[in-house]
Amino acid sequence: MDYSFEPKILAFLCNWCSYAGADLAGVSRFQYPSNIRIIRTMCSGRVDPVHIIEGLKSGFDAVFVFGCHFGDCHYLEGNHHTARRMQLVGQMLEIAGLGKDRLQLRWVSAAEGQIFADTVTELTELVRGLGALRGSRWQLPLAAVQRALNSSQLRWLMGVDRQMTEKANVYGDRLEAADFQDLLRRCAQQEYEKALLVEALQEGPQTVRQMAMRTGLPVYCVSRRLNDLERTGQADLLGYEGSSPKFTLLSA
Amino acid sequence: MSAEKNNVSKNPKSGGNGNPVGAVMVVGGGIAGVQAALDLANTGFFVHLVENSPAIGGVMAQLDKTFPTNDCSMCILSPKLVECGRHLNVQIHTLSMVTGISGEPGAFKVALTKKPRYIDLAKCTGCGDCTKVCPVLMPDEFNAGLADWKAAYRLYPQAIPAAFAIKKLDRAPCTLTCPAEINVQGYVQLIKMGKYKEAVRLIMERLPLPGVLGRICPHPCEDKCRRQEMDEAVAICSLKRFAADQVDLSAFSPPPVAVRPEKVAIIGSGPAGLACAYHLALKGYRPTMFESLDQPGGMLRVGIPDYRLPKEILDREIDNILRYGVELRTNTALGRDFTLDELFDQSFQAVFLGLGCHVGKPLGIPQEEAEGVIQGVEFLKKKNLGEPFTVGQRLAVIGGGNVAIDVACTARRLGSEVTIVYRRSREEMPAFHHEIEQALCEGVKIIYLAAPLKVVTGGDGKVMGLVCQKMELGEPDASGRRKPVPIPGAEFELPVDMVVPAIGQEAALGALADWDVKVSKWGTIEVDETTYQTSRPGVFAAGDVHSGPWIAIEAVGGGIEAAESIDRYLRGADLAEGRVLGQEAHERWRELPRDEEGRPREVMQTLPPEHTCACFDEIALGFTEAQAQAEAARCINCGVCSECMECVAACKAEAVDHSQKPEAVELEVGAVILAPGFKAFDPHIYESYGYGTYPNVVTSLEFERILSATGPFEGHLVRPSDHRAPKKIAWLQCVGSRDTRPGAHGYCSGVCCMYAIKEAVIAKEHAGADLDTAIFFMDMRTYGKDFERYYNRAQNEAGVRFIRSRIHSITPAGPDSQDLKLEWVEENGDKKSEVFDLVVLSIGLEVGEDLRRLADTVGVALDGDGFVETGSFAPVASSRPGIYVCGAMAGPKDIPYAVMEASAASAVSSSLLAPARRTMVREKTYPPEMPVWEQEPRVGVFVCHCGINIAGVVDVPGVREYAQTLPNVAYVADNLFSCSEDTQKLITEAIKENQLNRVVVAACTPRTHEPLFQETIREAGLNPYLFEFANIRDQDSWVHQQEPELATEKAKDLVRMAVAKAALLEPLQPVHLEISQNALVIGGGLAGMTAALNLADQGLFTYLVEEKDELGGHARKVGHTWKGEDVGAYLFDLSRRVQNHDQIEVLTGAQVTQVKGFVGNFETTVQCRGHEHHIQHGAAILATGAHSLKPKEYLYGDNDRVTRWHDLEKRFVENPQLLAEAEAVAFIQCVGSREPERPYCSKICCTGSVSQAIALKKQNPELQVYILYRDLRTYGPREHLYRQAREMGVVFIRYRLEDKPKVESATINGREKLLITVTDHILERPLKIPVDYLNLATAIIPKGLDTLAKFFKVPLNHDGFFLEAHMKLRPVDFATDGVFVCGLAHYPKPIEESIAQAQAAAARAATVLTKGYVEVDPIVSVVDELLCIGCGLCEASCPFNAIRLNQVTGKGYRAENITAACKGCGVCSAACPQRAIDMMHFRDRQIVAAIHAGGQARAI
Repeated sequence: MDYSFEPKILAFLCNWCSYAGADLAGVSRFQYPSNIRIIRTMCSGRVDPVHIIEGLKSGFDAVFVFGCHFGDCHYLEGNHHTARRMQLVGQMLEIAGLGKDRLQLRWVSAAEGQIFADTVTELTELVRGLGALRGSRWQLPLAAVQRALNSSQLRWLMGVDRQMTEKANVYGDRLEAADFQDLLRRCAQQEYEKALLVEALQEGPQTVRQMAMRTGLPVYCVSRRLNDLERTGQADLLGYEGSSPKFTLLSA
Repeated sequence: MSAEKNNVSKNPKSGGNGNPVGAVMVVGGGIAGVQAALDLANTGFFVHLVENSPAIGGVMAQLDKTFPTNDCSMCILSPKLVECGRHLNVQIHTLSMVTGISGEPGAFKVALTKKPRYIDLAKCTGCGDCTKVCPVLMPDEFNAGLADWKAAYRLYPQAIPAAFAIKKLDRAPCTLTCPAEINVQGYVQLIKMGKYKEAVRLIMERLPLPGVLGRICPHPCEDKCRRQEMDEAVAICSLKRFAADQVDLSAFSPPPVAVRPEKVAIIGSGPAGLACAYHLALKGYRPTMFESLDQPGGMLRVGIPDYRLPKEILDREIDNILRYGVELRTNTALGRDFTLDELFDQSFQAVFLGLGCHVGKPLGIPQEEAEGVIQGVEFLKKKNLGEPFTVGQRLAVIGGGNVAIDVACTARRLGSEVTIVYRRSREEMPAFHHEIEQALCEGVKIIYLAAPLKVVTGGDGKVMGLVCQKMELGEPDASGRRKPVPIPGAEFELPVDMVVPAIGQEAALGALADWDVKVSKWGTIEVDETTYQTSRPGVFAAGDVHSGPWIAIEAVGGGIEAAESIDRYLRGADLAEGRVLGQEAHERWRELPRDEEGRPREVMQTLPPEHTCACFDEIALGFTEAQAQAEAARCINCGVCSECMECVAACKAEAVDHSQKPEAVELEVGAVILAPGFKAFDPHIYESYGYGTYPNVVTSLEFERILSATGPFEGHLVRPSDHRAPKKIAWLQCVGSRDTRPGAHGYCSGVCCMYAIKEAVIAKEHAGADLDTAIFFMDMRTYGKDFERYYNRAQNEAGVRFIRSRIHSITPAGPDSQDLKLEWVEENGDKKSEVFDLVVLSIGLEVGEDLRRLADTVGVALDGDGFVETGSFAPVASSRPGIYVCGAMAGPKDIPYAVMEASAASAVSSSLLAPARRTMVREKTYPPEMPVWEQEPRVGVFVCHCGINIAGVVDVPGVREYAQTLPNVAYVADNLFSCSEDTQKLITEAIKENQLNRVVVAACTPRTHEPLFQETIREAGLNPYLFEFANIRDQDSWVHQQEPELATEKAKDLVRMAVAKAALLEPLQPVHLEISQNALVIGGGLAGMTAALNLADQGLFTYLVEEKDELGGHARKVGHTWKGEDVGAYLFDLSRRVQNHDQIEVLTGAQVTQVKGFVGNFETTVQCRGHEHHIQHGAAILATGAHSLKPKEYLYGDNDRVTRWHDLEKRFVENPQLLAEAEAVAFIQCVGSREPERPYCSKICCTGSVSQAIALKKQNPELQVYILYRDLRTYGPREHLYRQAREMGVVFIRYRLEDKPKVESATINGREKLLITVTDHILERPLKIPVDYLNLATAIIPKGLDTLAKFFKVPLNHDGFFLEAHMKLRPVDFATDGVFVCGLAHYPKPIEESIAQAQAAAARAATVLTKGYVEVDPIVSVVDELLCIGCGLCEASCPFNAIRLNQVTGKGYRAENITAACKGCGVCSAACPQRAIDMMHFRDRQIVAAIHAGGQARAI
């Protein structure tokens, strides 16, 4: 098969810096590849982690998020939120096996028309190297990532990071940044695994073995996560098929 | 209406009806002017913003980053510019200057002169098509001359207004000189660009014979060419020929004009007649041209040999003229075949006489009628018309003009031997030098200083010789040439068989005089010099017949003017009106380029003489294309715009209008604010720095442009000489500042230390750590908020080197080196030298000549430094009441201070004009909104061509058709310019006719145009939020110019995404909240009182809460300002005014105990002498001041001779004897400031100690005064105090932080003293100084601000002072709306700055309070209370305190959005763990719809 791959890329640009930078690239006629499709938000902090996954699910090969440089944010520190969230989304994509490169976060100011054009050129090449994000293989992992990013636990952790590392929680506990990252990573892994099982069970009741096959998770891991789901009333034991327990999803 | 206006002039105190005028003029569109304009417009006044340049933005727009936050300057400025540009109540007058002002405060009349922009602001879409085609390059002032821009230009890419402008000076000298007024500069530029057809078209606007004149014109234009001042004139004539030779004239079509019926006769078809006929034809006439010979062309045909002007060139161009509708009748001569009266009888209504001079002048010698004597013109005519005649074997040609040469060379070609006899010497010969050369080369002999005496004939009566008289040169005659006088007896005979006199021609006027055409005594026709009308009405004349034999281009010029007159005559118009003889020239031309090297003109190839003398082939071969373009490029564009009119053709919006004239505008305003900024110091006077000579010595402003991403090198840090990245950069401080040499300034410019550090830090960010940066300085003046920290970081983290030395000269590092050597002496006396690749001169700020003129025009006094004079207690008031000043025109200052003063100027203007608030503002009304909630979406899609900006790349009709196929789309259209007024009407009609309820415009960018379209759909009855933009220009066609198909595909995707989002858009209503119009000021010191008083004067009721029992704060301890004003007296007066004001309620001894609410609706509880007050207020100003540190060093507290701040002054005032007896006193600076635990400068202490020292010296000149300092920070004009103190003998000793002075008690000679030990910074050894008293300048420290900070939810900075919303552009605002800060609680500052800041805070508070309501953009977040679990993450993530937890009975806590405070970023929405928060207009489902639409399979 001989076709040259033209990636399709979704880009979120904040109104005040990067969208203005993209406009300046235009005014200055700096040329760059035409693969990006831009959505303007007032602040990069508006971009919900879920939006990234919606993009990847709906036909884009990658998603770029552009915001103001630190210190330039029109809303003081919206871009700090963006940075933290996008880091987690990247981790989730890594966990799900897509690799974190399909999400790119960059800072471009309103004066950096050339930098905008250069960055888009560079990143488009990078995505071209990654190849197309096609086929049903990624449907399940992406659905799981989306579900996990929608989980209140992960979202809470994403938002509470500064409070936990810079100030303290109501009990006066304060975490080191590295410990917090560790916690977040572990939690992301678990939430992803749970979400993956839920997504798998959406297709109908399955045994643990079937689920392990379907999701690629080790049997032991499937069991543990099913326990979690059971505890929170999301799944229930339906019976056994041979020695393998069969689970079903409880409607939420 | 007119009666009212009369009133105004009779009674200038009132605005017509007893009230002041509710409008203010702000002069200067820099950041200060913009801030003042916005503040005023937002408090109910109409603002005229007057800017000299084509766009607002000022110097700040040129800066790269700003200190101390390293924000991108343009990023933070641009939103303000956009707001200003869009504000209904700010009218921007660009390219305008104040030329006069009269009247009084409350009612001024201002005269403005508006320079032409040559581009219609209303029509210009900012697309830049004009600049693309413009051929004229000029130095780009915005890039400090480091790049070029075009004559059609935009100041900078993000300029407001976005319209382009054309820079035009006087017409170039070449054009002014040309008798036919051909636009020389214009066609030369077009040739440069290879646009030959356009060049010829431009020439032919005036001259129908480009190829002819391109060959034979003696080009007077070249004599005036200013390129001669550099090397040689541009070869204009040859360029014209080149262009004409490239173009087929038949490709031009005559202009489409209505044919005029009147008959006009043109007599004579020479250059005058041809030009006249051509121009009449252009005007629609169909003139008849009568020629006596059988071929047209007049002297061009019969007088000029083929080798100079090939006949086919002439034929071609005459044929072209005939093609335009001119009828030619040959062999028809006036006088012979018809009379003038017969013409009029034959219903000709006007006649043009272009008869020429075709009769040779006789020699007046015997035998002149002999056979073989033939006049030169006759000789040439016969040859040129091919008439049979016999040419002699040996010719004598008499005369020294071009005709003589032409005859001689023609005869040579026919095989004759030719001798020219000329009565003067070679120098006097009138023929062109190169033609004489040519003739000599071809073997023509010339006998100089000889005159013919008689023709000798043979028996057959034919010529056989010519007797000549030898001459010598005598005294100069009337023409200035030396008169030839005969040498008696010196005669000789030339053996010739033909004699050709060529000493001049005359006109053959025949019976003209009988037909009422007056003839002069020289035998020429007399005409009016402007209209070319003869004495007989309807008869006009030009060319040689009027002027006598002269150059063809003059005849053309006359013919053109005569055509104009004939047209006017036939239309019955005044012949002379508006016409002047010659053009007015002010010689306002572009300066000759300094840096361009000389380049001689191109030399045209010619045929070799051995070839030419045998045939009539054209000698000059013309330029090659490369030669022509290179030659054209030598033009220096004297007039800047060349009026080539390429922009007119390129502009699809038809916005270019070269006919614009300067306009006088008169404004009526109640107050004036001057904010014109400053001029950057020009370092040329420092000859030893070689600025302008060494390319790698640049100014700091140039360096800003080098760093800037929009700069000449696109943000790559390279040096000008070789565009190589520098490895070592040096900054030299105080260039033009702190220097008393002539041309420089004694004051400190106040900003250079910080900007140099910033530039060094940013340079390192660009280039990486191995870039070496060194700043050479005298005192490091980082006195502002967070500046000292910035300095420390630059030193310790970025590794910028700071070298305390003033560099005296810069020299090249070697003979051919572009590197630069600096030499200096270290403090310890060591000599050092280093080589740098780039040196930046930190130039100061000054008031330039233009600004001085402005000050003079408006009548405000300037101080000794040239800045507008102001007092400390009224820091923004000028000497003329009602005229205020802010920014750098009132003294050097940085951006935040200028912004603060701008708000302060707005505040004082507001209080002056308070009764007229809202009398002149415009408000718009709209039709009622269509309800769309229950309707199916019907989306209208409008795709813009943007001229060719989009359509040149994207298939616009294709996109439109594609849009038609999308779901919910009910209507599609495409427009040439969607933003034009007529398209707005089309959109409005389309909405109504098709019942559209959503609109998508696919065009440029929402950042500039969304408000326009929102406005349009509002006028059609749609809610403005039912609009969506697809950016297919800035982010598509402009950036994918080489990929039209992909760009089209992208455009379709973007439209599809926009339509998908649009279908889900909801109408939103701005949130309208009633507010309390009262203000609360906390802190009753100078700042608090000032703020309260200004608010009260503006008519806003104000509570003033003071903790102490008395108003006045710390200012009560201060005797005088540094300018010498009495603080106590002012304070007394101020507190009296505050306490007696009926709009102020003062609560002293009062404490704030609780604050609830938010902007517009605060409720503050104040405990006051046992009572609890609940104050409702809309805004709050925090002015709680600061304290001075009580140190634990230098024996303070242990020895009562050690005092601080004003204690020493007080002691001497109380006991003058102590001062009289004292022998020495010392001051120690930086006590507690600039130390690790308090790393900031207290800003006011240096000035404080220096002024005290001066006062002490004045009272007791014998007293020894020492000031022990680290850096002397008498910034700005305070520097004069420092100089004065040194001159008075105050001793300044610098100490280092790591080696502080030591103080001990001692008894010396029986007197109790203090002994100070300090290391002398020059001698580097300890000095022991005995003094009687020591005064410490201790740190200014904040105290107790955290309680208020918690109450109002506003932040403190690391040093404990209040932290404003933005250090640069919002210096008195907090991020929390409705709360403002001023005075020492913000940061240490002197009295005048505290007062300005207090007024600024009042102005900002007034923007909230005066409206009576807050209107909030409905793009805010909304909480779904059912989903919310009250976790509080949103509250924690919102920096504006716009979302908070509320207790809801039975549910615990639930989040609530405070619409008034919400800025609409959407951070909370993306943060909410429950996804309970959504963002209006950027709702989740709207964004997701756009994502899904964008991700769909490709639209092909």
